[in-house]
Amino acid sequence: MKNTTALIFGYNDYAFEIAKNIKNNYKKIYIFSLESEVDRLKNKSEFEIKSFDLSDKWDVITDDIDIENSIAFSVLEDNAENIFLTISLRSSFPSLNIIALSNNKETASKLQMAGANKVIPLVQTTAEMITEMLEKPIVKEVFHRILFESGELKIFKVKMNNSNYYLGKSLSDIDWDKKYGVIVLAIVEEDMNSEFIYSSKIKHHIISEADMFIIVGYESDIEEFEKVVGEKHNVVSWSHWSR
Amino acid sequence: MGFISRFIVDFAYFLNTLESYQHVKRFFYDILENDKYQYKKYFDILMISLIFVSVAILIAEVKSNVPKDIELFNTYVISIIFFIEYLFRFWISSSITEIIVNSSEHAFMLGREFSLSKTFFKIIQVKLNFIFSVKAIIDLLAILPFFHELRLLRLFVLFRVFKLFRYTNSFKIFTSVLSTKKFEFFILLMFASIVISVSSILIYVMEANNPDSPVNTLFEAVYWSIVTISTVGYGDITPITIEGRVVAMFVITAGIGVLAFTTSIVVSALTEKLDEIKEVRTIEDIRKLKQFYLICGYESVAKEVAKKLQNARNNVIVLDEEPFRIENAKRDGLVALNYDPGLTESYKKIGIDLKTQVKAILCLRESDVENVYTTLTVRSLNKEINIISLLMDDINRKKLEFAGVSEILYPKGLVGLISKELIGRPVAFEVIHALRNDYYGVAIEEILIDVRMSENIVFVTELHNSKFRVILLGIYKKEKKRFLFNPIDSTLLQSGDYLLVIGNSIFIREFEKYLHKKMKV
Repeated sequence: MKNTTALIFGYNDYAFEIAKNIKNNYKKIYIFSLESEVDRLKNKSEFEIKSFDLSDKWDVITDDIDIENSIAFSVLEDNAENIFLTISLRSSFPSLNIIALSNNKETASKLQMAGANKVIPLVQTTAEMITEMLEKPIVKEVFHRILFESGELKIFKVKMNNSNYYLGKSLSDIDWDKKYGVIVLAIVEEDMNSEFIYSSKIKHHIISEADMFIIVGYESDIEEFEKVVGEKHNVVSWSHWSR
Repeated sequence: MGFISRFIVDFAYFLNTLESYQHVKRFFYDILENDKYQYKKYFDILMISLIFVSVAILIAEVKSNVPKDIELFNTYVISIIFFIEYLFRFWISSSITEIIVNSSEHAFMLGREFSLSKTFFKIIQVKLNFIFSVKAIIDLLAILPFFHELRLLRLFVLFRVFKLFRYTNSFKIFTSVLSTKKFEFFILLMFASIVISVSSILIYVMEANNPDSPVNTLFEAVYWSIVTISTVGYGDITPITIEGRVVAMFVITAGIGVLAFTTSIVVSALTEKLDEIKEVRTIEDIRKLKQFYLICGYESVAKEVAKKLQNARNNVIVLDEEPFRIENAKRDGLVALNYDPGLTESYKKIGIDLKTQVKAILCLRESDVENVYTTLTVRSLNKEINIISLLMDDINRKKLEFAGVSEILYPKGLVGLISKELIGRPVAFEVIHALRNDYYGVAIEEILIDVRMSENIVFVTELHNSKFRVILLGIYKKEKKRFLFNPIDSTLLQSGDYLLVIGNSIFIREFEKYLHKKMKV
């Protein structure tokens, strides 16, 4: 099912790249420009350009957009304006998912303070990718397959159902890699703290009903596994990104 | 052309094109003169050691009897080595064959008769230039202790110390720094000479006729003047007449001036050349590095990349044409040179071997124009090297590809992909991001299966990774470019395969050590 609307603030290459990549996930995509008239004339893309200004009360949005099922991207090139936009959106729409772009660490933390659910630290991410290309080319390729290509290898979160065989067993006793062909990477405990498996703290963990497992495997294997132990979740706590 | 001339010209052509002869000559040139040649330093160390041995023997000889063997070694062996070195330097200083070939071609072009005598004269001239150069004279004097019987010539061992100038770069730099102040030193010398001559004559005239005065000869007067003007003032000779003391006051005052002037010249020369000296040192250090990444352009992405590469214990060198960016790089603890990465000359000056020393070139200027320019320059020097470049505007992608970039990273496109994955696969995204950044100390690493490992560990079941609390995500078969996720126990391991493992970084290191050490049972 498609989400409702994606609101992209900023008339620039970032906005168009985002729009291009997510157009299949949303029914409607709006690009908001600070200089709407000029940009509307220039616009040759398939996306609709709307205008806004930073002092806006957002009537333009609330009138015909379902905020609950929408997502906003703050990708203005001026850092101060981007922060102002984020804080303005957050104050008007507490439940809106806001993803913001930052050029440096300082802006990233300010954007988070301003209420962005997610901050994409552009410089750090680019540097990570370059370093990975050089130092871990195979890791890069495998990650790329999992993330960006439609390969069969997937990472999912699986919640234990209340009647499965493994409840009460120690983590060291499980052999899901051999039995179901899936590898457990991490466990999200009841208090929502996630721990990577084999970390010293989690070693003697006893599997309980509230646990969620982050597993990697082929889609078909994951589906088989779910039937036995629980249900697939594709929600995320948004907690670790942009640290 | 006469028979002899014809024979000489033919022979010169023959030698000039004879590969083995040129190869040998090139080798001796490299070992004696080419600072970039990796084995030259060993030759220099040998020669420096011989010099120190020689001087140590000279000192030992003064008060004690040195064993005959050592004396012979000092007199003959070291001298002969120096003599052979002198001959080689004489040989490589210029090419006789090339002079003959050039003269012959020159004569042919102008339609003139080749003149053997003129060519011979030219050769003599070139070789005499070498013989009368300061360095060659020092070399020659250093050989003279060979004639041991002439006692005075033994002192020429000290000239061997001057030969140190040849072998140590610090001395070379120091002399080159001082040579920039030739004019100032000349003025100083003139001033000191005038003061010394005038004061010597004056003190001689004032004091020589006084029976109580220690100044009796002109030599003593000159000696007194030099001792006084240098502000040493031994006090063994002192003027006793009023007139003589007036002269002394004048010389002492001038002496302070000379000393201050000398100090200021040396200090100003060093200050002016400080950056250059540092640069020379940096270049020398870079040449010694076995492998490093070369970052061209130091802006925000470059800064982060350099930090990450350094954390992974890589050597990183930064080139940038903007001095303030180089200063930033230096402040961040990087080796940085203020050279334009877009110029071929920069790479020549640094003298690095792109093929063997540079792991990859990273064009990280936030300008496509600069990155295309740098890529083209590097590609013109080396066709194979891995070049990674940032792309700021997608419109320039083809230009970068055409210039020869191996891999392109387009940050704007990356934002698009990230946005898509954030929405589509948030869990995968979070996990991969956490693994990439070593959160909780957990990382993903590649371990190469080398020949030895593949001989000792044949199947996946023999890895025992779970003992080390390391997850084996899969095996990458590089040849087939296939990734085997969660391989079964009976999967065969081959040399060249990569293991992709996840775990605590310390456990991974332990696991890797175990794989290297493991012997076949």
